[in-house]
Amino acid sequence: MKGLTNKRVVITGGASGIGAATVERFLEEGARVAVIDVDEVGGRALRQRHPNLAGVIRCDVSDAGAVEGAFRELDALLGGVDVAINNAGISIRHDFMDITPAEWRKVMSVDLDGVFYVAQQAARRMLAGNGGVILNMGSTSGMNGYPRYADYDAAKAGVIELTRTMALELAPTIRVIAVCPGYVWTSMQEAEYTPEMKAAVDAKIPLRRHATTGEIAALFAFLASDEAPYITGHPVIIDGGEIAGGLASR
Amino acid sequence: MKLKDRIAIITGATSGIGEASARLFAEEGARVTVTGRDEARGRRVVDAIATAGGAAIFVRADVRLPGDCERVVAETLRASGGRLDILFNNAGVFHPHNAIDCTEEEWDATVDSSLKGAWLMAKYALPTMIAQRRGVIINQASGWGIQGGDEAVAYCAAKGGLVVMTKAMAIDHGKQGIRVNCLCPGDVETPMLASDAEARRMTYADYMKGAANRPLGRVGTPAELARAALFLASDDSSFMTGAALVVDGGGIA
Repeated sequence: MKGLTNKRVVITGGASGIGAATVERFLEEGARVAVIDVDEVGGRALRQRHPNLAGVIRCDVSDAGAVEGAFRELDALLGGVDVAINNAGISIRHDFMDITPAEWRKVMSVDLDGVFYVAQQAARRMLAGNGGVILNMGSTSGMNGYPRYADYDAAKAGVIELTRTMALELAPTIRVIAVCPGYVWTSMQEAEYTPEMKAAVDAKIPLRRHATTGEIAALFAFLASDEAPYITGHPVIIDGGEIAGGLASR
Repeated sequence: MKLKDRIAIITGATSGIGEASARLFAEEGARVTVTGRDEARGRRVVDAIATAGGAAIFVRADVRLPGDCERVVAETLRASGGRLDILFNNAGVFHPHNAIDCTEEEWDATVDSSLKGAWLMAKYALPTMIAQRRGVIINQASGWGIQGGDEAVAYCAAKGGLVVMTKAMAIDHGKQGIRVNCLCPGDVETPMLASDAEARRMTYADYMKGAANRPLGRVGTPAELARAALFLASDDSSFMTGAALVVDGGGIA
């Protein structure tokens, strides 16, 4: 992709899954990449795999003060931010009637509050510098209902609307886009699924498979690059056709 | 090169976004069939691609006519030895009118070139793509296929139809290895904008000032839309299907 060489990129939740694949893709593209992740062990392993990483900062994105501190560290590491990728997120599988206030708050605090804290810190630096791109992790869950994920669905819908309004306010200096994946095959899925469960999910998806983490990383790379200078303010769905039709998603 | 040796058909490729896409796809290694109604302009696009070291052929066609669509696919397959990887349904026309002013002729010209033409091209292109178990279709929709626009009733109907036809085709042919997505541009600096300004009796400067009134503060360029089409055509978007990629400077955010 054009224009990613030497870009200063911060990726939250970069120690594993889609985040780690995105780290790898942006390093391949010649970017300078730093990671924010709450997982210290995973962060050390990532660093060993990629000695050319600018740094890994341990930080819980749901803590506004910690995020502010992490960005001060980033300033020292990168001297600014050109691309921020809000990838960190969690989900809890539970019926709506069983969600406790603590669980609700936990999901909201990472998936929505965290996006806001990181985006505001990044935008402050981009507005003071040469502009930039903020990519927020939405989900098809923010557009369709998924039983047992009411809190997650609500948080992701919030991320999509936050993205639209940020794009309106921060244009033309900063482009803001939400990436909305459907099912992605990560180690988390691998641990949870039986082969039968995976086959049942794959059968609902027009492309008949989960996404690879690299496929989501490729979309992040495109949207962050000079190949997409006129794209801002919208969710981009990458789901193998899953929510193209009502029946296809059930 | 992102499209090395891929075979691509681009309709309405004699000007605007289609022309820019034909040039870019060829630059990225694709062998491009350029189609359109204007032979002289089509030949110029093909010559420019050849001069730049790319490969392209011109097939004169009006996508409203089933026989022309069938011939575009047949001539492409003859030139490529039976392969076809990418179909970019870009052709379309615009007439400003509301439901009362719109003539039946304008309605048919608008809906048939954008919507019926995209279906016809897909109808003839899909069998080869399915046999290969690989193919990409990109439909040129519009931000006005998602939200309504003023004095554009047939255009909005056609583009809205394309957004949902894209999803329907994605569902039907995903399991056969085919990806179908649409692009939704806002205003793009093309001959279509100039003729719309004229039809609305506005000076081009006033028209462009209005069109630039969007978050990024400017209209798009054909090259920017061509790059988005390239992303959808390439393996970088291998898990995207049924999607509408809005490229409009935040116009409908």
